[in-house]
Formats: sequence, structure tokens, C-alpha cells
Amino acid sequence: MIQLLKNKSVITLIGLLMLGVLIGSLHGRSRDAGRPFVVMNLLDSALYPVQAAGHAVRSSAATALRIGRPRKSILKENAELRKRVRELEMENASLKEGAEESIQLRDTLRLSQNLPINTVAAEVISREESTWFDTLVINKGRRSGIKAGSAVVNHLGLIGQVEEAGTHTSKVVALTDPLSAVGGMVRRSRACGLLRGQGADNILLTYLPKDADVKRNDIIVTSGMGQVIPKGFVVGRVLRVVRDSTTGTTSAVVRPSVKFEQAEYVLIVAGQGGSLQ
Amino acid sequence: MKRYLWPVLSMILVLGVQGNYPSSLTIMGAKPDLVLVVLIAYSVVQDPVFGASMGFIAGLLQGAAVGMGVGSFLATRTITGFLAGLVPTRVFSENPIVPTLSAVWLTLVCEILFILGNPRPSFWAAFHTIIGECIYNAIFTVILYYILRSSDTRRKMRLVNARL
Repeated sequence: MIQLLKNKSVITLIGLLMLGVLIGSLHGRSRDAGRPFVVMNLLDSALYPVQAAGHAVRSSAATALRIGRPRKSILKENAELRKRVRELEMENASLKEGAEESIQLRDTLRLSQNLPINTVAAEVISREESTWFDTLVINKGRRSGIKAGSAVVNHLGLIGQVEEAGTHTSKVVALTDPLSAVGGMVRRSRACGLLRGQGADNILLTYLPKDADVKRNDIIVTSGMGQVIPKGFVVGRVLRVVRDSTTGTTSAVVRPSVKFEQAEYVLIVAGQGGSLQ
Repeated sequence: MKRYLWPVLSMILVLGVQGNYPSSLTIMGAKPDLVLVVLIAYSVVQDPVFGASMGFIAGLLQGAAVGMGVGSFLATRTITGFLAGLVPTRVFSENPIVPTLSAVWLTLVCEILFILGNPRPSFWAAFHTIIGECIYNAIFTVILYYILRSSDTRRKMRLVNARL
């Protein structure tokens, strides 16, 4: 044992693990207190250009794949025509790309104008950096007034909550993440429960009353409980209802209205609490 | 210090790629963890001290990028890097089987340790994800391992030629 502890590599491992535990607990403590952790903040700022560059490369590659389709021809006299076709395709593809972007931006703008609360628009620059967390990174941080806990929405409904706000970027945790817990309500019957992520594409509405009036295809909205996320944001539709006679509980599996991986432009609700109704 | 430069730069670079995977790359919830791939590929040809230090940096970077589970990322990546560093002292690392199997068992150890600290609602879903990630990581590790080996061989050849 003493021999093992004299080994340089074992000492390094133990030292690094202790440092890791220290950094982890300090990060957790500063996150709970709602203030930024300086080490992560510095790394965050260093990673921002790489994440933004990755996003730019991905967007360009997607456009290039769409417009740069190689076409082989056997007839020389067709060269001019092929060139013309390609030019038109390029123009068409970039117009389609522009139109798609314009639709998303218009929807986001319309939502921003219709919401009775202050919002900040942001673009998703990176997502799911790890296998185990449904998170994404947006290009707005504390400088734009983003705070941890704020709701993140788009024109289809609630996407998640800001987990951590950096100087220029913020981390958003999706509703589907197992660590996410948001107050939810059946819009038709007003039965309230707690929405918990399941780590897959579904969310579970738990802690419903035993005889809760909830059925398939019911729309689930945020309940506004906890004064963090405003009341009335659409979360999704009920896929199935689970009534457990042994424990006397009712829960509902909810399919989110927003596909987390397809969100490109989002709105962050600047204030906390409030209602859309 | 010099030997840490390229691995760290590679990790920062792959973090930019990792956050922008096309969703079509995900199969049964699994996708390659490129930071882990870089960590394993570099550490299996080095020593445990290098592995543990690189693992620590990998954990720090991934923790900063994700914003959650920082302690878990730091601990699991440090242990994984340390274990990867033990590989060349035990087995002949020129064999292609070594990086492949190393990537599989190291990913398995790393992710099992991770979910012990961050329990998942469904064990089987997590198990599927881990198995998928092991396969993905093995493929990417072998590719990176051979890229690193061939560049190392070229560098040594240049040194020999310069001496001659």
C-alpha cells in the first residue's frame, strides 16, 4: 500500500481526482447560488469561438451538400446547359435556405411580439456536447440579460430552461433531460403536476391527483408553479395515461411539441414568473 | 509541456465538432464521444501521468461545454486517461486489436462510472447508449490512432534522415 502511494502516477491520479472533486463542488455551489464560476466562465469564453466556428462550418457544409451536387455528363455540348442548371440550382437552394430561415425568424419574431413578457432572441450554436445531458448552447449570455432559470421557448412551445448563463453564451437544459423538472398542467381540466424529463423523447407528467381528468391528446401547458417559468407555455400532447392502482397515482407520458434537436432560433424569457393568459 | 499541446488543441477542436453533429449520426441514442476518443488515442501511446492529466483537461473542457456534472466529467475522464496510460506498459500497442479493445473497455468503464454518479431513469436505455458509444468510439479511436502513428513514424524518419 505504502509502495503504491509512493508511485508517481498514483499520486498524480489522487491529486487530480481531489482537485476535480474540489472544482466540481465549487461549481455546484456557485451554480446553486446563481453566480458564475470563474474557471468555467474562462473556459466557456475560450470555447465560444470554437463552438461558433463549428456551427458555421456545419451550416456551410449543409448548404454545400444541398447545392454542390456533382453531375457527370457524357456530352460536351451539354456543358453550357449543365453549368446553367447548376447556377439555377445554387440560386434556388440558397433561396430555399433563406426562405426556411426567414420562416423560422418570422415565427420567432411573431412570438416575441405577441408575448406579454420581455424576451431576448438567440441562436443555437451548439448542442448535446455529452451523451448523458440534453443541453444546447445559445449565443446570448449575461451581457444580454440572460439569467439562470429563465424559460427558453420558440413558436412551438417551451424548449427548456437556462441552466447556466456565461458572459457571451448560455447553457440550456431541455425539458426531456432527466434533471429537468417544471410545473405542468392539463390545459382542458387544469389538473396540475410536475413535468420530468425521461432522457428520451418523452416527458412524464407526474404527481397528478389519483382521479385526475387527463386523456390522450390533451395539451399540456406550464402551470407557473414555482414562479420561475411563466404560466401557459405549450409543452406538448399526452401520448398515454398511466394509472397505478397499487400506489394510487396517475401520470401521463407527454410528447414535447418542440423537437429539441431542431430548434435553431429561440427566445429567452427575460423576467421570471408571470402568465401568458 | 510540449507533448500536451496537440492533444489539448485536438480536444478543443473536437468539442466544436461534437456540438454540431448532424442528428442523423445518432443511432439508438448513441453517438461518438470525440473528446473521449482523443483522450484514449493519445493516452494509450503514453504513460499514466500523461493520461490522468489529459483526462483531467478533457473533463474540464467537457464540463465547461455542457455546464452540468463538472465533477463527474473530471473524475471519470481522469480515471479513464490514467487507465488508458496503463495500456502500453502492459500490452504491445502496435497491434490494431489493442486500441480497438482499449477504446471499448475504457468507454465502458468511463460511462458506467459516469452513470453511477448521474443515475438514469432507464437502465436499459443507458446500457444501449453505452454499447453504441463503445462501438462508435472504437472505430474513431482506431482511425485516430493510425493517423497519430503514421505522423509519428514520418517524424522519426525525418529525424533519422537529418542525422544521416
